[in-house]
This record gives sequence, structure tokens and C-alpha cells, in this order.
Amino acid sequence: MRLFKDLNIDFMSKRTTFYFVSATILLLGLLTIFIKGVTFGIDFRGGSEIALQFEKPVDIEKIRTEVDKLGIGNVEVKTFGGSTGILLRTELQELPKQILPKVRSKIESVIFSVYPGIEKKVIDSSSTSITYSFPDPSTANVLNNRLFLAGFNSAKVSEEATNTAVSVRLGIADLIKDNLTEKFKDNSFSVLKEDRVGPKVGKELKRDAVLSILLSLVVILIYLGFRFKFTFAFGAVIALFHDVLITLGIFVILYGVIPGFNLEISVSVVAAFLTLVGYSINDTVIVFDRVREQMKIHKMLSVEENMNHALNKTMSRTIITVFTVLLTIIALLIFGGEVLRGFAFALFIGMITGTYSSVFIASAFVLEYANRTHKKIEF
Amino acid sequence: MKELRFRIILIAGAIALCLYLLYPTYKDYRNNKEVTAQLEGLQQSIKKGNPSLTNAQIKDIIASKKDSILTNNPDYRSAREKRMKLGLDLQGGMYLVMEVNTAKLLEKLAKDPDAQFKQILKVSEAESKDSDENVVSILARKMKQQGIRMSRYFGSIREDDAAITSKLLQQESDAVTRAIEIISNRVNQYGVSEPSIQKQGSRRIIIELPGIAREEEAKRLLQGSALLEFKLVKDADFAIPIMNQIDQALAGKTGKDSASAKKDVASKTDTTKKDQKLTAEQFAKEHPFFAVARLLDPQGRIADAYVKESDKSKINAFLENPEVKKVVPDNIEFIYDQRPEQDPSGEKYYRMYMVNREASLTGGVIVDAQSNIDPSTSAPVVNMQMNTEGARDWAQITGSNINKRCAIVLDGVVYSAPNIIGKIPSGNSQITGSANLEEAKLLEIVLKAGALPAPIDILEQRTVGPSLGQDSISKGLNSTWIGYVIVALFMIFYYKKAGTYASFALMITILLLIGVLAGFGATLTLPGIAGIILTMGIAVDANVIIYERIREELATGKTVKAAIDSGFKLSFAPIFDSNITSFFTGLILYQFGSGPIQGFALTLMIGLVTSLFAQLVVVRVIFDFMVAKGFKINVG
Repeated sequence: MRLFKDLNIDFMSKRTTFYFVSATILLLGLLTIFIKGVTFGIDFRGGSEIALQFEKPVDIEKIRTEVDKLGIGNVEVKTFGGSTGILLRTELQELPKQILPKVRSKIESVIFSVYPGIEKKVIDSSSTSITYSFPDPSTANVLNNRLFLAGFNSAKVSEEATNTAVSVRLGIADLIKDNLTEKFKDNSFSVLKEDRVGPKVGKELKRDAVLSILLSLVVILIYLGFRFKFTFAFGAVIALFHDVLITLGIFVILYGVIPGFNLEISVSVVAAFLTLVGYSINDTVIVFDRVREQMKIHKMLSVEENMNHALNKTMSRTIITVFTVLLTIIALLIFGGEVLRGFAFALFIGMITGTYSSVFIASAFVLEYANRTHKKIEF
Repeated sequence: MKELRFRIILIAGAIALCLYLLYPTYKDYRNNKEVTAQLEGLQQSIKKGNPSLTNAQIKDIIASKKDSILTNNPDYRSAREKRMKLGLDLQGGMYLVMEVNTAKLLEKLAKDPDAQFKQILKVSEAESKDSDENVVSILARKMKQQGIRMSRYFGSIREDDAAITSKLLQQESDAVTRAIEIISNRVNQYGVSEPSIQKQGSRRIIIELPGIAREEEAKRLLQGSALLEFKLVKDADFAIPIMNQIDQALAGKTGKDSASAKKDVASKTDTTKKDQKLTAEQFAKEHPFFAVARLLDPQGRIADAYVKESDKSKINAFLENPEVKKVVPDNIEFIYDQRPEQDPSGEKYYRMYMVNREASLTGGVIVDAQSNIDPSTSAPVVNMQMNTEGARDWAQITGSNINKRCAIVLDGVVYSAPNIIGKIPSGNSQITGSANLEEAKLLEIVLKAGALPAPIDILEQRTVGPSLGQDSISKGLNSTWIGYVIVALFMIFYYKKAGTYASFALMITILLLIGVLAGFGATLTLPGIAGIILTMGIAVDANVIIYERIREELATGKTVKAAIDSGFKLSFAPIFDSNITSFFTGLILYQFGSGPIQGFALTLMIGLVTSLFAQLVVVRVIFDFMVAKGFKINVG
């Protein structure tokens, strides 16, 4: 079977149309990024995220109201997977001040239930932990264990036998979980996953993400410059840059539009960007290789003609390859589950733009350069 | 045909090797199934016995039970050790990034920190949150700006700022090592299988704890404070008779004739000599305790014994035995050395000590410790200083226990058990006997752990519950075979016979890919599975390029053989170029990502290599074979 037999399309003459198409999508994407902003995942933003799996289907609105009642500000509540999965997320790093007394009274009620009227001192209190001191080491030990059993994150301050201080760590995720366990007694849940990312990590990660994408572009620029001509390498990298930007733009445009698709920029989406950089270059290299071969054989033909030739000859391969890759990505999108969805979607868009750009952007850039400088490109 | 033979052998060899590497994974999978089936009944009975437990809690119990069976049963263990490792996102567990809180450490280290110092420290700490600069260097800079010398708070008056700064940086790095030591010590005792605790940079620790989904449990393991104790080791004169009694109590319990047991009371020295004539089995029956705890010195001059790693639980069970409890005094306990010794067969043995249950002294009294090379003997030594209170007690302890051993115990594990040579009146002690400077350094870190905890903050924490992991595995596997089937069907549909070769080669690509992953002991993560799926889509690219080229060449009127030859030859350069650029981005991705993403990058890179091998070598061999045999070749 043959999809394109003796294809003969004058791709290069239509390049202005494609410039226009690309520019429109790019502009739309950048505009949306400018207006809506990029929605980063917890990896980059920092904060806490918990995914819970209830035993029975659960009303998401009810959870929302329960969590709102906690008064810890904005907590996103979404479904995770099916109707029994719930994803809760907050950007807060620590408990807000107004909540502290509430949590504190909870801790103290546990203490008083064990030793009513015990003498205790708060020796240190911050928004992430609170430290009590008790009259003697043995009460401290008992209370430490009791608090721990009651679900608090308690620990002795020191392991020395004379230690009388117990500190309790306060976490948002713990607070939410405690509250939901209490409120949904007839529908218990297990924690599917829990992530907590500090703000520093997110910042570093953002920098690393941008750096690694740039680095991969530079490496490709150098390698292709060495294997082909620098102009070709430059054209290829422009095309890659275009792919990443368009994919990012489409991601931002579609954020929140498709239900059930969590299109935020997470580490795995960045990984997908890097992967698409690596694979989108494949198409470009195949086309360039053909252009080079054509130029060697048909020295008299113009660059434009040689390029059209090369594109037509490789078109069949280009389409089939991107098709098989898309087949696997679709399998991943449908059957890969919630965790991989954003990643698969980024690849899906990226593969399509990658193929498009290797035909219309990379080669066209080389042609523009050749036309402007009137230099003859020779291999 | 002859020239084909070598390549066919190469391919067959590669496939055989991969199957061999994958066999333990398969075996472990079978074992897992077997154990799950066995535990089915248990699950039912737990449910009946404790109706108050939720399903999730029962699942947790069963999961931990299963894990302990699979890791402890020697039949299952070897397969489990060699199987393909699963990432935390697939098997569930906890991933943590921790950082030493330098500001807290500095506050502890500073002598008489006044308000001014605290103020500067606070500002420095705040500033460090927004920059990569270290708190120590920020602090040094701020102090300089305000014209305060570092020696006012740290070190001695003669040292200049630079020297103190570098010393503080060293302290910071030591604190990380100390935290790692404390944490791995705890994690090992807790029995987490395949934990990974690594130092990253100068102040970060990356911890991976598979199988721990209960945050609270993990947190207990991960505190920076630890208990350091000095415990006197019991003399052989005292310990051996007790061990004999334990032995007899156990032997009596298992129903052995008490006559031979009574004879043993005489002295352990005799029994060991006599017992050498007994077979191992008889010995185990008559001396259950000594069969497990092998005395270090057959003459019985010291009472230390070696215990196999897998026998530790037996010893614990022995000591719980009510008959044994009757003969063991309350004030002693058995504790183990921190590092095992290996015999030539790779079996790990831990040295077991009998010590006083109550610590003679705790680590809080230690002011400082440094490891060094003794200039006169050029042997590694550790010097330790105590505060006045500690020194007073220490003088009394050492004075009355000359020529006895004192174990240095951190969180219940012995790091060293030096002999007390003489009374130490000043608290300044020197510990010799470390095998090398590294070991001495470890002892220094341990000694400091009592006095100077390593304040650590959790920067990042990710927990994946076992059910999500299981779900991810099945979803990943499903998408893998579905992906394979649709790609293979398409290739066969489009390229007919040549398409079947490509589909076959694709299977080999995947087989080699997971074989290599298992062989390198790489970790398979969920993105890693995604990488395998993506590899399938991309792997056929090489086929497509070659086949399209062969079609073109055929169209120019070449013979089939010539078309195949030039098709492969002309396709090589573009295939190679495009794959190598993908490989570069894979490398960069590996550098960028952590855990799961690295798994993805790794599968992509290995997938590139194996797919090149399969599509270029395997498919070529099939083509050549067909041509040589005179079969018709058909590229659709």
C-alpha cells in the first residue's frame, strides 16, 4: 500500500501561508499566556497536594464545603481518576495564623484527656510546629505516644532520658485528612498519593527546566552545525523553538477547557517538552539529509526545487512515522491513567507541531536565508 | 549463509541474555502471586476478627505482611533481589528531599549568641532563601559589614574569618553526614527493604523509602536527633554462663534430654570442643542458641557472638521465650554491631554484644570529638571531650571498669566497643582501634550526634500509596500491549511481509530494552513505562525510512537485492543523525529530572540503542536470509 505515490507538491511556494498559520497560533498562545498566565503544577509552585480514594462515590461539592469550613483559604478540589478519587491542593506552605489556635486546642484536648490539669509550657511555637514542655520525662513519653496515636506528628525533642519536651509538627495535609476522616466516617478513604513541595525546590526546578530545554537546543545546534551547515542547524533549532512555544501556547489555551484533562505545567510536561525537542528534530534531520543528497546530485537545480523534491520524497515517511508515534501516544492517553495524561497530551500536540515545523519552518528558514544572502549552499 | 551465521548467533545470544536477566523478575512475579493467594485466607480472618478495621487498613496489613514474606524467605529473596526494580511511583513509598538547617546549626555552635548575633543570623537566613549562597557565607559577609569578627562567636580568637568560615562549612557538611548516618541507622533497624539515602550537593539528602506509605512511620525514622549512650559490655565470666542457661532453656523447651544439657553447665569451653564432633543438625537441636549465635572466641574469653543477618529475628524470638526470660537478668540486653562482616560466601554476620541495659552515660555530655592520625603511632584515633559533669561521671566509670569494654551505642546499635585502659579524670578521652581514618571519622560523627543534633528540614516530600502504584502498573502494562498491537497491525497492513519483520523486530526491541533495564539494575518508573511505549512508536521510524527508501530504489529499476542494499546503506546516516540528537536530549533530561523522570530518560536512551540494533541488524538479517533462500520480498 502506498499513501503518497509520486507526490509532487510545491511546498516552498506556500511558505508564507504557513508563516501566517504559525504566527497566528503563536500569537494566540503568547497572548493567552500573557492574559491567563501559565498554570504551573505543584512541582513548580510549591504547596501540598493529596489524592484520596474513597470507598464509595463521593460528592465533590460536599468535600469542597467541608474543606472550606476549615478556613485555610483557597483549596482546589478536583476529581482524580474515577468518581471515588479526589484531588486536593493548596499552595499554602504552612498553616495560616488564624487556624493555629484551633489546632492547638485540639492538641491540648488530647493532652488533657490523658492527664487532666497537667502543667505544661509552650516553649516554642511557629506555624509549622509547636513544642510543649512537661514536668517530667515519663509524662512527656506517654503524651508523645498518645499524641502520635491520635494522629498528630509528635516527636520527642531529644532522645535523652531527661527529655521533657515534645514537639508536634503541623501540616496542612494532615489537617485536611484529619478533618475529612472525621466528616466522612461512613465512607473511609485511603491516601493514593501525597506531595509536599517547598517553595525553594519549585524555584530551582523552574530554572532547571528552562536551562535544560535551552541546553538541549544548544547541543542540537552544535551537532547539526557540525553535521550539516550552520544555516541548517539554525533553521532546525528555530523550528524546535517554535514547537515548544506552540505546544506551551496550546497547553495554556486549553487549560480548563477540556473536562478531565489536567493541563498544567508539571515536571512531566517539561519532560515531554524535552522529549519532543529530541524527536521533532528527527523529522528535520531526515528532511535535511534528503536536501543535502539532492543538492549533491542535482547541483544545477535551485535550492527551492531541491527542497521541494526532498520534502515530497520524505513526505510518506514523515506522515507514517508521526502516525505510528501518535498511535502509541493515543494508547497512553486513553489507557495510561490520570498520572500520565498531561505528559501524553503534551507529546501529542508536540509531535504534530514537530512534524509540521520540520516541513514548513525548518526548511523554509534555510530557503529564506539562501534567498536573502544569494549565497549558494553547497555540500 | 555463512556470513549470516555470526549475526544470527549474535542476535540469539542477545535475546538469550535478556531472557536470563528477566527470569528473576518473572520468578518474583510468580512468587508474589503465590504469596498473595496464601494471604487471601488471612485477609478473610482479619476481617472477621476485627470488624472495626477499614478495608484500607486491612490492605495495609496484608501488604506489609506480603512484603516481609517476600523479603525474608530465602527462596523468594534471591528472585526479589535480582528482579527489575520498580520506582516509588509503581510500588508505593516515600520520596524525600531534606536539607540541613544551617541557621539552627550555627545557633547551636555559636558561643554566647547575643541578640545582635541572632539578628544577623535571622537576616542571613531570610536572605539565603532567595539565593544560592550558603548561610555561612552570607553570615560571614554580614558580620564583616558590621565590623564584627567571626571569632567573637566561633572558634578561637587567633583564627581569622576565612579559617572560621571554612570550619563552619565543614561543620555543615558533617551535619549532613551525621543526619545520613542517623537516618540510615534507623531505616535499617526499621527494616525498610531497598532504601536509598544519598547526599546531594553539600547540604541535601535524598531519601527513598519503598513500601512506606504511612507518613507518620517515616517521620519517626527521619528525625535528626538520636540517642547516644555508653554501655558497659559484660565480661565473659558473667555472660557465658547466662548464654549457656539460655541455650539450655531453649533446648529443654524443644524437648531434648536434659542430661546432656546439664553436662554443658560445667563450662562452655568443654562443650564447644565436644560439639565440634556433632553434626550441624544435632548441634542445632542440642544448642539452639549457640547454633544461631556463634561465639567469636571458642575459648570463651570474650562473650561476643556472630549472628547471621537472617537469624536476628530468631534471637529476638528466643529472648521473648518465657523460659529464657526466667534465666536472663533484667539489667542486661543483647545489641548488635552497626556494620555486618561478610564471610566469603557473602553471608552477613552481625557481632552481638551483651551489655548493661542501663547506659552508664549518655551522649549529651560530649562537647566535641575529632578524628585524627596519632603522630606517634600513625594510627587513626578519635579524641573526645566532655563537659565537667560528664567528665566527673566518666572518671568514676572508667576508674572502676579498667580493662573492661564500653560500647558506644547510637540508637541501639554499637559503633565501637573500645577497651578502657585506665581512669580518665579530665573527660578528654582518646579512642583507638579504628581500622582506618574513614572509620574514625564515622565514630567522630556518631559521638557528636549525641550533643549536636543535625537539624533538618523537609524540602520536598512525595508519597505514593500502594494502590495507586498497582493501578499505575496495570495501566502501564495495558497501554504497552495495546500500543504494540496497534503499531504492529498498522505496519503489517501498510508494509505487508516487511511489516511483519518490523513488528517482530519491535518485539525484540522491547525485550532487549527491559532486559537491559533489569540487567543494569535500573529502576522502572511510570514515566519509564511511558518511555517504553513511546519507544515503540519511534522505533519503527527506522523501518519506515528504510522501507520507503527500498521502495524508491525498486522504482528506479534496481534488483531486489541491490535495492535492499542501497536502501539500508542510504538510510543509515539520517537514522543515525536523528537518533543521536534524541540521545543527547535524553542525557539532558536525565540530568534535569529526579526519580521518575530519570527513569523515563533512561528507557528512552536504552530504547534508542536497542531499537537501532533490532531495526538495523535484526531486520537486515531477515531480509538477507530471505534473499539468500530465494523467498519473495515484499515491502507492501
